[in-house]
Amino acid sequence: MATVIPAVPQISLQGVHKQYPNGTVALRDVTLAIPKQDFVFLVGPSGAGKSTLVRLLIREEKVTAGQIHVEGQDLSRLKRRHLPYLRRKIGMVFQDFKLLPNLTVFQNVAFALRVTEGALRHLKPKVEEVLSIVGLEGKENKFPDQLSGGEQQRVAIARALVHDPRIFLADEPTGNLDPATSWEIIQLLLQINARGTTVLMATHNREIVDVMRRRVVAIEGGQIVRDEDAGGYHAPALESR
Amino acid sequence: MHRLWNRADFAFSSAWQNFWRNAAVSIASVLIVWVVLLALGSLLLVLHSLDQIVALEKTKASAISVYLSDTTPLSSAMDFKLHLENDPRVTNVTFVSKDQAMARFRELPALDPSVIDTLGTNPLPASLDVTVRDIRDLGAIDQAVRNSPLVDRSPATNYEPNVIDKIILLARVAGVAGLVLIVGLTGLSVFIIMLTIRTAIYLRRKEIEVMKLVGATDWFVRWPFIVEGLFVGMIGAVVAVLIVGFGYRPAVVNLQSILIFVPLSFDQYYLRLVLAAMLCFGLLLGSVGSYLGVRRFLKQ
Repeated sequence: MATVIPAVPQISLQGVHKQYPNGTVALRDVTLAIPKQDFVFLVGPSGAGKSTLVRLLIREEKVTAGQIHVEGQDLSRLKRRHLPYLRRKIGMVFQDFKLLPNLTVFQNVAFALRVTEGALRHLKPKVEEVLSIVGLEGKENKFPDQLSGGEQQRVAIARALVHDPRIFLADEPTGNLDPATSWEIIQLLLQINARGTTVLMATHNREIVDVMRRRVVAIEGGQIVRDEDAGGYHAPALESR
Repeated sequence: MHRLWNRADFAFSSAWQNFWRNAAVSIASVLIVWVVLLALGSLLLVLHSLDQIVALEKTKASAISVYLSDTTPLSSAMDFKLHLENDPRVTNVTFVSKDQAMARFRELPALDPSVIDTLGTNPLPASLDVTVRDIRDLGAIDQAVRNSPLVDRSPATNYEPNVIDKIILLARVAGVAGLVLIVGLTGLSVFIIMLTIRTAIYLRRKEIEVMKLVGATDWFVRWPFIVEGLFVGMIGAVVAVLIVGFGYRPAVVNLQSILIFVPLSFDQYYLRLVLAAMLCFGLLLGSVGSYLGVRRFLKQ
């Protein structure tokens, strides 16, 4: 990649180990550094530990051993009451969109600003701004069930952008979408990345990863098995077969 | 300023929606708060009445009325009075005539004067009200006067050594029983409010998930549920306060007409204190119940 890599990565994992209370080991000795403005695909089979890694980054889960730094903060030392402020720096989207069905498109996006006590007089222009970024002008008053899957994911992306996040995490964002719509969402993530936001996308979508030729981090059995710039979904050796 | 307003606006509108979205559970918690506060308020007022009775009986305790038979001439009564006044144990003796006794009787609260008028003749005896220096001498004085031919036989005096002890015991038993009842009901109401809030949380779990995801603080998530608990506590309290506030006077009057000789009184000042305490306790029940209800969820 052409970007200059800063001395301190924006996201860094050092010897991260995660074991759930039921005994399942989700991650083993994971070390990873992601600099600012990077665009990373996190690939691997189901249950490999991709989602766990994403959950660790927003500290929905805590590491069992090792260290995670995000935006210069040590997540295991981050006090619970400071956690919301970390989350405002991270935009997140999921396979299942997590939209509130009883709120309109506008309200769903505004909700994120309201509950984080953003200034109300900036609310309308901000919501309109992010809705235009994701291309949903004119759909402000629709409810989620009146939208297609791709449009719903755009609403979720708009909501994640409303705090001008420095990091954008996408956990299987195209998992419920058809190929054409998936491409639209990827284009949107590229745009977001081009605006200076670091993007980490966990995905199963081989086609997208192969075409994009961005940095690929592959996880299997809780361990990083491959980390290459401009990589494909599978290791080069496998692809050549 | 706008942050405070935003937070308050969000908390109140969410709480209001929650309250009605699971109205049945909300109303159940209002009812339990209402029952607790009604019990608390009534108990406080009853205990206060008992306290007043104890205090009154204590001041009366150093005196006995010696009832004179109707045939006693006034001169003999005065001699008897003088005789008692010379007793070193006695500090004061007052003669109460039959008419004065009747006048006192009429002053008893909540007694229908027409009932007395239907009696025709005055059945009350004249008496010598004897005050002693030391309460422990009352028994001896009582024994001494009983033997006098001037003294009525049915009854001779109003000396009842156990009555104060009995009242004090009654007040204690009522206090302890009431306290146990209140503590039990308080626990129950906190538990039910907790369940109400849990139901509300369950119904809104997706919303809360999103709130936490986009970076809402714990207190921002918590406030709507605390406010909902305060709604529950306040509605229950207001209904209980109205019932106790308006029911206290009729209750005293009705009880007084049954317990004619027990000096009940209507204490406006104490009533206000009790009503204020009920309101505060209601709000406390509501907020504590909610806080506990949300706590487990936020810990996750």
